[in-house]
Amino acid sequence: MSIKMNISPVFLQYTNNQRVVEVEGTNVGEALDHLTNKFPSMKNWLFDKKSKLLDHINIYVNGHSAYPENLGKPIKDGDEISIIFMVGGG
Amino acid sequence: MLTDYEKAKYNRQIMIPGFGEEGQKKLKRACVFLAGAGGLGSAVATYLVAAGIGTLRIADHDIIEPSNLNRQVLHWDKDVGQKKVDSASRKLRQLNEAVTIEPIAETIASDNVSRMVAGCDIIVDAMDNLPTRYILNKAALEKDIPFVYGAVYGFEGRVMTIIPGKTACLNCLYHGAVPPRGVFPVIGVVPALIGCIQATEVIKYIVSLGELLTNRLLVYDGLSMKFTELHADRDPNCEHCHQVERSGN
Repeated sequence: MSIKMNISPVFLQYTNNQRVVEVEGTNVGEALDHLTNKFPSMKNWLFDKKSKLLDHINIYVNGHSAYPENLGKPIKDGDEISIIFMVGGG
Repeated sequence: MLTDYEKAKYNRQIMIPGFGEEGQKKLKRACVFLAGAGGLGSAVATYLVAAGIGTLRIADHDIIEPSNLNRQVLHWDKDVGQKKVDSASRKLRQLNEAVTIEPIAETIASDNVSRMVAGCDIIVDAMDNLPTRYILNKAALEKDIPFVYGAVYGFEGRVMTIIPGKTACLNCLYHGAVPPRGVFPVIGVVPALIGCIQATEVIKYIVSLGELLTNRLLVYDGLSMKFTELHADRDPNCEHCHQVERSGN
């Protein structure tokens, strides 16, 4: 199974500078679990204390938003997931 | 009506197919509201003024600090301690004497944003914080004024254009409240690039050329030098869009 997860440059320090991480899972939630098991410090950047995806984090599957299913959005072999967080600088 | 000097000055853009003197006249008649005279704002303002926009209304309450100077190229060492809108206005008036610059040295807030954007054809987001972006987004929807979102962080940038009632808004894109953040890292070339894309969108909108960056979030990663386009759909449950629809706009 090959699902690619694109990591924003902001998070590279938490993924050993890996820009693309191979993950597994049948939905976005499982893929993110796979990511955070590999890189535990990513968890605080993606989820709140109740394990809810943070409001300013958007997940895209093959360029399309996973909202509103988000964590329940099904994924399959060959899919590409992007984690986009809202930046505020100007 | 364009003067002979204006025809000569803008000749290279008037030459662009579909632009012409009519396009230049549209720019000359247009009013742009620029929220922020910082990193993004410096690029947006410089290129809109050089292109011959009629009126540029700039709102920013900040005073120039040394830490601004790596990216806010309208402000120079000698300007530290001055109001950003004053420093920006002075430079921009020298760049193009024909452009009307309207500086507003106030904080953009829910209770004054409507007055600030009144009469403008398009709003450009060049803010340095998220809460004000939501105020601008809501105001754009309420006043039915297109809104060009832009933001930066480190080597990353984002841009999207919003046509009220027709395309995904900022609140459709990012759901719910966003926690305020403090000082952010950034290298000057990133707001320069993102600001130029925003200015491009403004010019295209005013001149009615090309295809706007609507329902598409453009994500720039300067470290890998990649642009990624992500689909942004209107959220049927978006509070901002709903509020405006309920008010009858």
